[in-house]
Amino acid sequence: MAQSYDAVVIGGGHNGLVSAAYLARAGLKTLVLEKRPVLGGAAVTEELFPGFRFSVFSYVVSLLRPEIIRDLQLPRYGLDILPLDGTFTPLRKGGGPKAGGGDYLWRVNDHGRTVRELRRWSASDAEAYEEYGQLMVEMARFIKPILAITPPDITSLDPRPMLPLAGLARRFQGLPERQQAVFIQLMTMSASEFLDQWFETDPLKATMAASGIIGTYQGVKSPGTAYVLLHHYMGEIDGAFRAWGIPKGGTGGVSNAIGDAARALGAEIRTDAPVANVIVKAGRAVGVALESGEEIHADSILSSLDAHRTFLGLVETGVLDASFVEEVKRFKFRGSSGKVNLAVDRLPDFSCLPGEGEHLRGAISFSPSIEAMETAYDDAKYGNFSRKPYIDMIIPTLVDPTMAPPGKHVISCFVQYAPYKLAPELGTWDDQREAFGDAVIDRIAEFAPNIRDIILFRNVQTPLDIERTTGLTEGNIFQGELSLEQLFFNRPVPGYARFRTPVRDLWLCGSSTHPGGGIMGANGRIAALEVLRARGRKAA
Amino acid sequence: MVVGSVSSYDAIVIGGGHNGLVTAAYLGKAGLRTVVLERQGRLGGAVGTTELAPGAHVPTLAHTVGRLRPSVVRDLELKRHGLSLIGPDVRVFAPGPDGDAVVLWGDAARTADGLRSRSAADAEHYGAFDRLVRSLAGFLGELAGRTPPDIGSPGLGDALTGLQLGRTFRGLGRDDGRTMTRVLPMAIADFVAESFVSDAVQAAIAWRGIQYTAMGPWSAGTTAVLLGDSAGNDGGAAGQTVFVRGGPGALITALQTAALANGVTIRSDAEVVSITSRDGRATGVVLADGETLDARAVIAAIDPKRLLTTLVDPVAVGPNLLWRAGNIRTPGTVAKVNLVLAGPPVFPAAGDDPRLLRGRILIAPGIDAMERAHDAAKYGRYPDAPIMEATIPSLADPSLVESAAPGTHVMSVIVQSTPYTLRDGSWDDAREAFGDLVVKSLDGYAPGLANLVTARQVITPLDLARDVGLTGGHPMHGEHGLDQFFLWRPLLGHARYRIALDGLYLAGAGSHPGGGVTGQNGQNAAREIVSDLRRRRR
Repeated sequence: MAQSYDAVVIGGGHNGLVSAAYLARAGLKTLVLEKRPVLGGAAVTEELFPGFRFSVFSYVVSLLRPEIIRDLQLPRYGLDILPLDGTFTPLRKGGGPKAGGGDYLWRVNDHGRTVRELRRWSASDAEAYEEYGQLMVEMARFIKPILAITPPDITSLDPRPMLPLAGLARRFQGLPERQQAVFIQLMTMSASEFLDQWFETDPLKATMAASGIIGTYQGVKSPGTAYVLLHHYMGEIDGAFRAWGIPKGGTGGVSNAIGDAARALGAEIRTDAPVANVIVKAGRAVGVALESGEEIHADSILSSLDAHRTFLGLVETGVLDASFVEEVKRFKFRGSSGKVNLAVDRLPDFSCLPGEGEHLRGAISFSPSIEAMETAYDDAKYGNFSRKPYIDMIIPTLVDPTMAPPGKHVISCFVQYAPYKLAPELGTWDDQREAFGDAVIDRIAEFAPNIRDIILFRNVQTPLDIERTTGLTEGNIFQGELSLEQLFFNRPVPGYARFRTPVRDLWLCGSSTHPGGGIMGANGRIAALEVLRARGRKAA
Repeated sequence: MVVGSVSSYDAIVIGGGHNGLVTAAYLGKAGLRTVVLERQGRLGGAVGTTELAPGAHVPTLAHTVGRLRPSVVRDLELKRHGLSLIGPDVRVFAPGPDGDAVVLWGDAARTADGLRSRSAADAEHYGAFDRLVRSLAGFLGELAGRTPPDIGSPGLGDALTGLQLGRTFRGLGRDDGRTMTRVLPMAIADFVAESFVSDAVQAAIAWRGIQYTAMGPWSAGTTAVLLGDSAGNDGGAAGQTVFVRGGPGALITALQTAALANGVTIRSDAEVVSITSRDGRATGVVLADGETLDARAVIAAIDPKRLLTTLVDPVAVGPNLLWRAGNIRTPGTVAKVNLVLAGPPVFPAAGDDPRLLRGRILIAPGIDAMERAHDAAKYGRYPDAPIMEATIPSLADPSLVESAAPGTHVMSVIVQSTPYTLRDGSWDDAREAFGDLVVKSLDGYAPGLANLVTARQVITPLDLARDVGLTGGHPMHGEHGLDQFFLWRPLLGHARYRIALDGLYLAGAGSHPGGGVTGQNGQNAAREIVSDLRRRRR
């Protein structure tokens, strides 16, 4: 006889686990089903080479919601986020300020030091940096509550779901006019043009703007990329912990902590348990069938898989209305990022600042200019991977030596752009994987020439590999492009942004929903709260 | 020319472009003593006609006026004042490099018929797409005719506007309502791809989404540009194509006549160098020769960046607003090439049907072709394969060439993706090479055209800035981006036609609903000014 649960969560990524933990916490008999042997989805740690452990895909934690950390007592279950101090932007000879001082830009968490560094480049930028930072903190404070809202359907005649929006409008009215204006700009402008209003230093703008394009198929000059600039500041105001950092034990450490918390709250978690489909009877989801043939019944089914995989993969054809399916197909993924994981036997040596200094302990951003960022995007627009890509490099072993054998290091390189759909003349990603890896190494070598000599192992993750391993459609790390038309009440489909789906008792709880991707957990939490509300339960 | 000798007015309008004249005519009609001050020796700003060769008249900059608001034509009795419009059946003829063409007609069914040979699916979807554009543009047309509500301290009127807009929005129906919020911020390339598979068809429709902007078809918000262009007229997916008989300058003449008939004083060669103010209230203007004029309302029909950063006392504007005004985006990317031709050009893709050339001739052979042109502009270069919208207005309006040599035609070419700031050198050095490129590119689609050219005029973005006074050479007085839209065009808190100071107004394209030859900005601004002045009088 089939087993029966109150709730089944499909997918053991961080959002699925957060949902399960909240449901279990409210007393629901909850089961999580993960297809892989490891938990975490894209937030996993795996030993790719003997002795070398990697955050294979997602590599930093930025916005994990403090309420989740609190509610689920994650530190008790091993969550430990190690701060990443600063961002180092290496430049080539002649790329630095005219008045000497080295060819790099190095910002650290120590504000005074960063301002002194900026002054080397531009006195007015150093001054503006202060003002800009304060303004962004104000903006982040305003926008943060949106991350916890269930988006209303604005065409609905029911005014109740609109209330949070009305509250938001009132708070907006309370902002000074200049802040209101800046908020509108953040939602609509390109990162590059937004920053132009304050700064003139090219590598500064390029490095800041880079955060606006991570995970998107957009360039730093594309309208709509400014908003993500805020994310960096949102972490700062959370205060409870350093939001920008790498979890001890890799990003799998976050997933395991949430998983352990969920188990402690009573949830059951099964790995190696791929779901074949959701069982729908009379328009209502009643359970899931595993690929093994096993059937599991549940009152509520939550899918943390993306909208395509959920609606086009798990729900059988014919269940959903054709126009809804059409809208789901319109939801854009367009994976644009790749990952190169390196095991090295010593540290890279940057020509602009030789030696093993503090500058290697933070993020190392290969973003020398706005034009370099934008031309990397131009390549991708026409189906090529960037010949001189943007790379966000982290050396986790400098803050967490347990990730590699003594004296050795692992290096994580997040790379853009690597479009999922390659131009026909390039063939498939299986043909281009190593060429892509070479392009990344070549780009690094322009700034750190010893890179080729120190590599012991190289692991290249193309968008196709990301899709194959994690199931993320087109390798999109956010489960759907974070473009303006796919946010808030349009995510993933207009009219279905409230975590409900057209199939009764089937819910979405992954990053395809508001507020989008990143190791945030907000989606999983709000979805669980909506499920509980629908069942008339308190969240505990 | 000074009519009368008063130096004190109810209203001073700075700038004699079409919106300045529309505003003035409405104010005059409301009984306000109004003067228009135009810096140049001629009226019209970016709307005008040039005699490029003896007897050959060509649209100087704008070449069609399909977006002119019918209510403006009616209210100001422009037809009585001499305005005559010509609307050819064909809207767009877009020849491709393959010798085939996409043709968009005013009649959607006819367009669909023509598309069938290229793609049956596209033909089938065209009608629904056209209907969708009309529906969404209808809502935007409503919006365009209204003053954006005051969100800072909303009054009864603003609540009413909100309610009416809410009702209009609901009137779209649930599906179109949702579609509206989804597609407005979308890239036009994505929007057209939802309905059409043929690249050429996608491009021919998407073109209006990027025209006059510094964006490519993959930029977010270009769908809003297309829908905005379709707002308030019956253009649908094809857009409008309407010529003024006698050239665009004839529209200005009609507006001038209407303004004069309503008692407005119009002065050309009258350059305003500053706006006077006292205690945060605009009091008048100072002209270049030192003359001062006083008024209860000062209305700027020039671009808002120029207004706030050069004409108003910076102390009165204040550092915050001045900083914001300085950041209004005006990335001009449009150039104009005007040609006099010894005979009609032959486009093989038009076959033996010369009627096809009477509308807008679009050289935009694909979405990627448009994006690549935009790529060049991003880095400060003009593209090798320019994207162009040309018209041969003399085909539909022979009066333009009636006193020229027999067989003469004029061609007006708007060239996209030509950045105001060139990476290498100046437009003054690049002008003729650029003109050669445009003619050569056209010749690729109409072999022999180059040999027909008897006169040529090249107007670069730099010329638009210098001669017409457009900051950054931007013909729309500010980019049509989502960041400069509706409630925040040109700036949040200053979108209600009242700008910076009490008694100072913005009536040009930099205000809601943006640029184009609509007269809507002027009409809206005049409504607000009349209401304010009447209130103050009481």
